[in-house]
Amino acid sequence: MLLLGKIGIGAVGTLLIGAAIVSSDGFIHIKVNEKRTNGTHLSLIVPAMIAPVAVRFVPDKDLAQASARVRQYLPVIDAAISGLRDCPDVTLVDVTDGESHVTVVKAGDSIVVDANDPQETVHVAVPLGAAQSTIDEIAAANGPI
Amino acid sequence: MRKILVTLAALSMSSAILAATPERYLHVRVDSANANERVRVNIPLSLAEKVIPAIHARQLNNGMVQIGSFQANDVDLPAILNAVKSAPDGVFVTVQKPGTDVRVAKEHGQLIVHVMDRKDDTRVDVTIPWSVAEALTSQTNAHQLNVEAALEALDRAGDVTLVTARDSHSQQTVRVWVDSHNTAD
Repeated sequence: MLLLGKIGIGAVGTLLIGAAIVSSDGFIHIKVNEKRTNGTHLSLIVPAMIAPVAVRFVPDKDLAQASARVRQYLPVIDAAISGLRDCPDVTLVDVTDGESHVTVVKAGDSIVVDANDPQETVHVAVPLGAAQSTIDEIAAANGPI
Repeated sequence: MRKILVTLAALSMSSAILAATPERYLHVRVDSANANERVRVNIPLSLAEKVIPAIHARQLNNGMVQIGSFQANDVDLPAILNAVKSAPDGVFVTVQKPGTDVRVAKEHGQLIVHVMDRKDDTRVDVTIPWSVAEALTSQTNAHQLNVEAALEALDRAGDVTLVTARDSHSQQTVRVWVDSHNTAD
């Protein structure tokens, strides 16, 4: 019994540590709701650390074009993400055009984009750290930077 | 021992004061009454100061904007700034082109620019702290504006409305200003 208890504690402890590691980078939230009848309703919550890992499984030749484009903007992207991480929470952009409304908000360590128009609502929240790691992985697809 | 404690206390207070310096924001507000459009942009100046030097595009490189082909009704911006700099306060340097009046003056430590486009019935008023205007033309050649230096100077300047513009045809108003609030409303 004691042995089983120890094994159980070990297993639970391992799971908890694993969960802590996986969630340490935060979560990517994606929600899409189509307003038409029987429209798509999608809600996705993914540990952010999966994104850069997933990019590694994409063949380099399929990422070559994206990698080349990202590399030329990498200094700006790095500066922007670094600046965003250091600045307080703020609504960066808020645009209303007729019946469409889009906001881009820096909240905590994430960038949150919300779009609402007569057809659908979209909510995307991406941790800045995950965005940086994913972009770095894409940029590295063409070889070391 | 007492001197060490006093020194440490002073250093701690200085750090706290520096850390508590509020972020300053560049705000842009665009309202278009007849098109039901509304734009609000709030950019932390610290973010802009990091991003601008990193941009290497056609006309913006290392914080410098190339204005060699800057048209704006053939207005030579560096020449105007030099003329205003040497003119007394309150005296306008006026540039008149067909359909467009540009009046520039230095007043109360600020550079003031009024642009009236009679053809489009558009009016633009620009007020820039003189320190920012000087930073724009610092360490540049005749065809450059130093945006990076201007941003740093803007961060040190007080709250100020930089641009107000009104287009009567589209009933669109634009306001650009800097303050310590993180909203544009």
